[in-house]
Amino acid sequence: MNAGRDAGSPRLELALKIVAEMSPVKEGDIIPLLQRLQDAYGYLPREVVLEVAARTGLPASRLFGVATFYGQFYLAPHGKHTIRCCRGTACHVRGGRKVIRAVSELLGIRDGETSEDLKFSFETVACLGACALSPVMVVDNRCYGKMTPQRARQILTGLMERS
Amino acid sequence: MKRLTSIAEFRQWQQNLKALSVRRQKVITVCGGTGCAAFGSAALREAFRQELRRRGMEAQVPVKVTGCHGFCEKGPVVVILPDKVFYPSVQVEDVPEIVGRTLVKGEVIERLLYVDPATKQRIVHDDAVPFYAKQQRLVFRLNGILDPTSLEDYVAHDGYSAAVKVLAEMKPEAVISEIQEAGLRGRGGAGFPTGTKWDLCRLARGEEKYIICNADEGDPGAFMDRSLLEGTPHAIIEGMLIAAYAIGARHGFIYVRAEYPLAVQNTRIALEQACACGLLGPDILGSGFAFDIEIRMGAGAFVCGEESALIASLEGYRGMPRPRPPFPVQKGYRGQPTVINNVETLANVPLIILKGADWYRAIGTEGSKGTKIFALAGKVNNTGLVEVPMGATLRQIVFDIGGGIPRNRRFKAAQMGGPSGGCVPAQFLDLPIDYDSVKEIGAIMGSGGLIIMDETTCMVDMARYFMEFVQAESCGKCVPCRVGTRHMLDILTRICAGDGREGDIETLEQLARDVKASSLCGLGQTAPNPVLTTLHYFREEYEEHIKRKYCRAAACEALARAPCAHACPAGVNVPQYLALIAEGHPEAAVDIIRRRNPFVSVCGRVCDHPCERRCRRAELDEPLAIRALKRFAADHADKGLPLMAPPAGGKAEVAIVGSGPAGLSCAYFLALMGRPSVVFEGAPVPGGMLALGIPEYRLPKSILRQDIDFILRHGVALHTNSPVRDLDELRRQGYRAIFLATGAQKGRPLGIEGEDLDGVIDSLAFLRARALGHAVRPGAKVVVVGGGNAAVDAARSALRLGAQNVTILYRRTREEMPAYAEEIEEALKEGVALHELAAPQRICGRGGRVTGIKAVRMRLGTADGTGRRRPEPILGSEFALPCDTVLVAIGQIPTGVPATGLTLRKDGTVSVDLTTMATSVPGIFAGGDVVSGGGTVIEGIADGQRAACAIDRYLGGRGCLPPDVTYSLRRPSEEEIERLLPRALEPMLPIAERLGSFREVVGSLSEDCARTEAGRCLRCDLEKLL
Repeated sequence: MNAGRDAGSPRLELALKIVAEMSPVKEGDIIPLLQRLQDAYGYLPREVVLEVAARTGLPASRLFGVATFYGQFYLAPHGKHTIRCCRGTACHVRGGRKVIRAVSELLGIRDGETSEDLKFSFETVACLGACALSPVMVVDNRCYGKMTPQRARQILTGLMERS
Repeated sequence: MKRLTSIAEFRQWQQNLKALSVRRQKVITVCGGTGCAAFGSAALREAFRQELRRRGMEAQVPVKVTGCHGFCEKGPVVVILPDKVFYPSVQVEDVPEIVGRTLVKGEVIERLLYVDPATKQRIVHDDAVPFYAKQQRLVFRLNGILDPTSLEDYVAHDGYSAAVKVLAEMKPEAVISEIQEAGLRGRGGAGFPTGTKWDLCRLARGEEKYIICNADEGDPGAFMDRSLLEGTPHAIIEGMLIAAYAIGARHGFIYVRAEYPLAVQNTRIALEQACACGLLGPDILGSGFAFDIEIRMGAGAFVCGEESALIASLEGYRGMPRPRPPFPVQKGYRGQPTVINNVETLANVPLIILKGADWYRAIGTEGSKGTKIFALAGKVNNTGLVEVPMGATLRQIVFDIGGGIPRNRRFKAAQMGGPSGGCVPAQFLDLPIDYDSVKEIGAIMGSGGLIIMDETTCMVDMARYFMEFVQAESCGKCVPCRVGTRHMLDILTRICAGDGREGDIETLEQLARDVKASSLCGLGQTAPNPVLTTLHYFREEYEEHIKRKYCRAAACEALARAPCAHACPAGVNVPQYLALIAEGHPEAAVDIIRRRNPFVSVCGRVCDHPCERRCRRAELDEPLAIRALKRFAADHADKGLPLMAPPAGGKAEVAIVGSGPAGLSCAYFLALMGRPSVVFEGAPVPGGMLALGIPEYRLPKSILRQDIDFILRHGVALHTNSPVRDLDELRRQGYRAIFLATGAQKGRPLGIEGEDLDGVIDSLAFLRARALGHAVRPGAKVVVVGGGNAAVDAARSALRLGAQNVTILYRRTREEMPAYAEEIEEALKEGVALHELAAPQRICGRGGRVTGIKAVRMRLGTADGTGRRRPEPILGSEFALPCDTVLVAIGQIPTGVPATGLTLRKDGTVSVDLTTMATSVPGIFAGGDVVSGGGTVIEGIADGQRAACAIDRYLGGRGCLPPDVTYSLRRPSEEEIERLLPRALEPMLPIAERLGSFREVVGSLSEDCARTEAGRCLRCDLEKLL
């Protein structure tokens, strides 16, 4: 679901629906709850987290504490397409750094950033577990192996044209 | 799915399923692991289904998508059952042919078969593929066979038989005993005995007990847990069931990384199936035992792989570890006794229960039983998942199964245990690997990730890389980890950026000790390990980075932009001169070279080109033929090239002893800095080994003379036939600085009986005599003992001087001979015979003359301190080699170094500071073979260059080398990069024309050829500039 991906106030109904489905929400459910919220909104809007805290009785500080600790959670609107380059050891040893640099240059954003038009988010990840294919790049859910700066540029240019 | 309510019902069901699957049915299995999925296995599956539909065979032949087969390098993998025909790297276009020929007609498609690179044979069946054949696949065996989304498939292969056996026949204590007997140790990394953990939990007091499967496989480079969960999720569920029964738990969790979507999906499906079937739930198979499993996803924190952080995460907290004791087995999830086991550990459990502890104990070593799955990645040919018994060696894993290092590079080290582990260098290639042996050498077994590194990997950069990872993943709770790793990272980053300082290494060591000792959890406690192990085994690399701003792997970009120029000991600006050759300006190229190396024509013929070994073009097609291009430039440059600087005038204050490459280079560079010098040469001709060692068919006298004259014209006085016996005498004559470069011109004696017989000659003396024009006549049957360039030079010279029969005797193998590969190749073509793995024991004679050699065959044993395999004599394999001449070429030693007061090493070489070439006596510098004991020409030249700078500074100057003045910004176009070309080859004299004389064998490239070849250069030096 892409609700709330563009700037504008997110609809809270989705969040309340999720809370109702998971009720009673206990402490141990915090991470799965945040994961479901992120799936619905594309990221964790501040208003949503505050509303969820109010409804469940879980302290907002606790929710934000968890959201800011784990790398999976985004607190800012996230790009339509997520490009992840692996910076794991096997990828590193086979030239992953160059691929990362090429992608960053092409998209015009650095690790952890989202493009102004909200089309792309770029992040490096520590290991995708596809080490035999190093260096690895994942665009949304598609995994590309044996990347070179050139191939990465080719794939992403194609994606940029289609977007 | 029918719900089973009794053990008898299950057993009946299982029997039926087994009967069904015994039928020899053809099945197409397509590997569906994440790796092959990335290669497009989903499209393959569709293509197979379509083709089968087209032929109306859809009903008879199932297309099964299995879990990871492990041979990730060769994906997508297709195996046709029941014959097990193995097709690697299958494309969609191949599908119709596979169905039409292999499936329907039973024919094997030759072109699609796997070719064993070692034997060049095509292999049909997957169990004959060396990658698989040399493994012992017990835990992983079902991965390529089962459909992970089919419970029936698992049950038909004895799935859940162990769980049922436990429920039907065993008490919990008996289960624990069996696991303890078997000696199963945790496969997550620490190797804690699993049975003991279960026992402690069972005995602990608590209202509820929990079993958690740790599938938060975070080590970069480890993916075996992912593959097990993707491919055989039921095995983990079964393992958890048995564990829960043993410890008395009713609830379990599988905590899996969110980054493993396929593993999550397949595990979810498996859990649903197990529940629906009655294998999980409130009353499992009517036994009264209740157990359910919940799947939870991680949220992107490596630290959550640590048990107490994992528990915190499950409880809805930030993933921060907690102090222990109490340990999870006493107070874990929600304060209750909890067992946390790794995926692979749990997958071992059903096997042990089914086959018994005794069976399990028979595999592995004394302290570590069973097998281990390693994830082989990095600089290795066969990347993928490898299962071997504990006690297998790295050599077996990396070379026998892994297929060795790509491009025949040298193994440098393996990182074991990810960021918590350590590097294992080449000297431990033959160490049997188990939990304890690995710990002894400073590493840890860890999860099983094995990253292989070769000579192009920088160990300092690796340490920095792991520290960067750990720093990012540090939870921040405790100061030692949060602050300590940050400091270590800052230091390592500075070192790699070229800003290393005196004292950095000591600070790193101190910080490492403190962080290890005082961090709260395993992440901090093991974070310093990569730094400590690389410091222990590769300290010189750190020192080179700090003191000389040199990265020998040419990997640190700040230090080595163009790896070729960086690899050149003299620092010649290779990419520049190549570009100038490509543009048609050989003179400009020669000018560039001469700013770092005066011996352009000489090196264009005899250099061992370390630049080519680092050439990045090799990643595309083949390295550039840099040496050949240098020769082309030298041969084609206008002969009247100007001097590099006006001849240095005035009184010479520097004396140089020895006119070899080191001595003459020193004189040359000093002249460029405005300092005249006098060179004293003891022989009748200048050049050192260039004149007296390297034979003319490699380096004609006229060519050498050209380069030497060029040097002398810069204001260098040369006195031949002037040996110097006493350096103090030179000082008395007024020389303020002295460069000692007398080389190592005497051959090392064999030290065996018969060495004093007539006909036993030092190969260096032999070559020298020939060079000086003395009449030299070797006998008819010559044996050369040794494997370096001197040996090959002596052998090829002997052939040209009339020997009928020349044999080289070398105690190791051809691949290990230090001589240039090209030289060995040509020697063999010319008719020299090579006896590998043989060493002389004594020389026999009659009447004072040599009649033959008694030799013994050798075998390569285990690795020595440098990783080379030690040759060992095979007792009883002595044989006789008749001959009348023995040329000894087993090493060089310096002779009669003049002057007392100089610190010498044990072998007689002079000890110097490697940055300044200064000896222990102020004002006296040394370089070349007299320091190294036998290095290459370019190393000697580099020594001379460094010494010249140091001497100039010593005498009050600035010690600066000439900067480049001509630039070329020529870069290859995208088409030129895409166009893969073989390396240019120089023309060579046909063999028939070679042997009568010492005519030069190798010729120059043509102009067209040279310009095209030079155009292949990728201009790595311009990467950041443009």
